[in-house]
Parts: sequence; structure tokens; C-alpha cells
Amino acid sequence: MAHISISSLAVDFPVYGANSRSLKKRLFAQITGGRVVAGEHREVMVRALDGISAEISDGDRVGLVGRNGAGKSTLLRVLAGLYAPTGGEVSITGSVGALLSSHAGMDPESTGVENIFLRGHILGLGRAEIRSLIPGIAEFTELGSYLDLPIRTYSDGMSARLAFAVSTTIRPDILLVDESIGAGDARFMDKIERRLEEFMSAPRIVVLATHNVGLLDRFTNRRLRLDAGRLSEPDSDTQDAP
Amino acid sequence: MASTSTFPDQPHGPEPTSVYSPRQRGRTGISDLVVGLSHADLWGHFAVHDIRLRFRRSVLGPFWLTISMGITVGVLGFIFGQLWNRPLDSFVPYLAAGFIFWGFLTSTIVEGCDAFSGAGGFIRNVPMPLSVHFYRVVARNLLVWAHNMVILVLVAAIFPPRLSPVLLLFVPGFALFLVNISWLALVCAVISTRYRDVPPIIASLVQVAFFFTPIIWRADQLSGRAFFIDLNPAYHLLQLVRAPLLGETPALESWLVCAGLAVVGSLFAVALFARAHRRLPFWV
Repeated sequence: MAHISISSLAVDFPVYGANSRSLKKRLFAQITGGRVVAGEHREVMVRALDGISAEISDGDRVGLVGRNGAGKSTLLRVLAGLYAPTGGEVSITGSVGALLSSHAGMDPESTGVENIFLRGHILGLGRAEIRSLIPGIAEFTELGSYLDLPIRTYSDGMSARLAFAVSTTIRPDILLVDESIGAGDARFMDKIERRLEEFMSAPRIVVLATHNVGLLDRFTNRRLRLDAGRLSEPDSDTQDAP
Repeated sequence: MASTSTFPDQPHGPEPTSVYSPRQRGRTGISDLVVGLSHADLWGHFAVHDIRLRFRRSVLGPFWLTISMGITVGVLGFIFGQLWNRPLDSFVPYLAAGFIFWGFLTSTIVEGCDAFSGAGGFIRNVPMPLSVHFYRVVARNLLVWAHNMVILVLVAAIFPPRLSPVLLLFVPGFALFLVNISWLALVCAVISTRYRDVPPIIASLVQVAFFFTPIIWRADQLSGRAFFIDLNPAYHLLQLVRAPLLGETPALESWLVCAGLAVVGSLFAVALFARAHRRLPFWV
């Protein structure tokens, strides 16, 4: 039984390097009436998520939609336990797998195989377990002998494939996917879709943040629309997904 | 509120429940430190990986660490031995031990500054305890230190020390040394993530501290004992590990200073990390 329960979740983001203590900004503030300036010494805060409440249960395949900066990635990071909420509460039952960026957690100087080990360790697998996964990953990614080359020599699509393959060979109860997997050619997108289909046949939860309408239509049975950090009425305007 | 682990073990066991809310305050930070430490597979792997990476495609690999330390000690031993007319059989071991532990101390602190800010990609995207990135820095420096210790063995072969039971004091001395540099590195790691001016400040302080600390020169070379030696915690830390290796007993004062620092400093570092834990991912 996997379940995600979100109640009035809020996340405030401090933004540094945007402080108002420069002469230019101060002058500018005078002209505009001081509205841009958050305060002389206080940090600038951005409310990335505001009052989000949702229940996500077994079998839900949630498509997370909204414009850039609407808070999709932030919400995924909260669900993954990466960002702590500033307000509200999130309660998650089930193991969580997160695929938020195809590059993070990969070391460009190391070979594909070394990176499989690195990721595998991060996912909590032992050496023997990881070794047994390698043939399957090699087959799925079609990287072949490229797996013995440093991944800095890979194309974006190739490293995205590798990241996707490693993260989905283990089966968490809840899979969080950010749109980064979009990088791949048509042929690989097919494979990704098949892998996702396979994954979704089991009663688990998937939360997928994407702009790709095709993926949304095929794989999600529910949508959450974020608008400037707030949850707007879902399902009402599915046709204008950006 | 059941488990607060941010790192649920993947395949086995009943489904874990994680609760994230602002009420959890420092507790999650402390459990992060404990859970992180237990993931030796992770930080150990990272540490070995870091060193391997540094010397990828070089023939001698990490033994370049040993060689460059050997050259430093050899050249400085010769120059200053001549300059101050000191017997090489006592001066070179003193210099080697001093340099090796000073290097361990300072590089752990300086690299500690970058522990979290350098791991932004992981912290923002890959769920694992934050403290893993800190343990990685300590483990990596421990490995570098182990390579440097080869020099001390060579020096001991050339200038055989008189063996005495005092050598055993190295064990508790090293433990205290390690605890102290670890909490210093953790404090630097947290503060540097929030305030990006701190790493350059630390780097320049460390450089100046080298001259204030008896590493090339000896404390007893000064006519009257200067106050800045007794007030210098780095001197006491060095004494705990260097003196036993040279067959001397560290002063009681040094033990007390370092033990006191270890307790107070560790408590402070853990409290600071626990307090900052929730905000760290937003700072990197």
C-alpha cells in the first residue's frame, strides 16, 4: 500500500545573491516606489509552494503540470525528502525512488559501469546486486561498449538513458520523475514508455512532471496543475497543457 | 510520526512511512548524522573514488601524494637543518610528522568548507543523508593521510627512533585529533554553505596559522615560552600525535585542551548541523 498525503504544504525558498544592498538597486527602488526591495537586511524569500493539499493513493499515476517555475520540481523534491516543508505536512507510505535529473549523481569522469555502481550504492544496493543488474542495464540502454567509457563522452540522450535505466531497475513503491527524461530519441522514448508501462502495471504511485502531452495522455490517470505554487483546479483545462 | 528517515531502504521490509513537517526541527539533523555514518559503503566509495579520480591516468596514482610529501620533507629538512644547524636524525622526523599531520588537519578543514556546497547536484536531486557528503571529505583526507604516513615509516627506517611504550599514546592522541578536525570541518561545511565568504577566510587563516604553529620550528627554540603557543589549539592537537611518534609524552595541558575542545566543539557542531539541516538544501 503506497500512499502520499499532503496537507497545506508550503515551501519558502531563500534567494541569496539577490539582496538589495547595492546602490543601483536602491536608486531603482526610489524610482519604482520601493516595491522590488524585500528589506534592507532580510533575505529575499520566494514562496515556491503555497497551501498544497492532495491525497495520492495506490494506482494513481499523477501528471504534474504547470508552467516553468510553477513549483513542479520543488514539489517532487519535497516528496523525495530533499526539501523540508516550511509549513504543513507530507506523509509518505512506501519506498520512494526519485529520478529528478539525468546528470546529478553521475560523475562525468567515471565510466558508465562505475556510475552504475555509484548510483546503485546511492539506491542502497550491495556490490553483488549491482553487478547482477549490469547486463540488463546494458541491454536496456543499448550503450554496449560505451559503458566502459567515461560518461563525459556521452551525449545528453545517452546519459539520460543510463540514469533512467539505473533508477528504474529497482522498483520503489513510489516513483517520482521530472521531465529531464525527455532527452532521448524517438526509439528510446518508446523504451521508456514501455518501461513505465511495466512499472505502472503494478499497484504503485507514479508522479510525473512533464510538459510532454503525449506522455501525460498515455501514462497518467490524474493531473495536478500547479500555478505559481498553488494547486489550481485539476482536470478542468487539460487541453492547454503547456 | 513513525520513521523520519530520508533514506528508506529500497527493496526489503515493510513499507516505511516518512513524515516531513516543520515540527521535526533538530531531530532529523541528528538522525541524519547517525544514518549517514552507517552508510560507510557510500562515503567510503565516494572517498576512494575521489582519490582515484585525482590521479586517473597517472602511473603512480595516489603515491604521488607520498612523493610530493617526501620531497617537501626532504628539501625542508635539509635546508632548515643546515640553517639552524640541527642534527638531522631528530629534526627530519620532527618535520615529517609535523608536516603530515598539519596537512591532514588543514586539508580536512579547507576541503570541509566545500563538503555541502560542492555536492549541490546530489543534495538537490538524490535522496541520501546530507552527512554522507561530510563523512566523504573526512574519509578522503584520512586516505591521503595514510599515503603520507609511508614517509614517516621511511624516515623511521633512515633515522631509527628509540622505541618506547610512549608510542602507544599515539592511539588516544590520534582519536582526539580526528574528533577535533571532524567537528571543525563540519562547522566549516555548514557555515560555508550559507556564507560564501567563509572558505577564502579559512584558507588564508590556515596559511597564517602555519607560521604561528611549531611545525618547522620547535616550541623550545623560543627563549621565553611565547603565549601564542599555549593559546594555539593547533599546537596542542599536533603535540598529541607528533610527540608520541617521536618518543615524547605530550603535556597534560595538551590532553586537557584537546579533550575539552573535542567535547565542546562536537556538541556545537552537531547542534549547528541539526539547526541548519532543514535549510541546507536551499543554500547549496
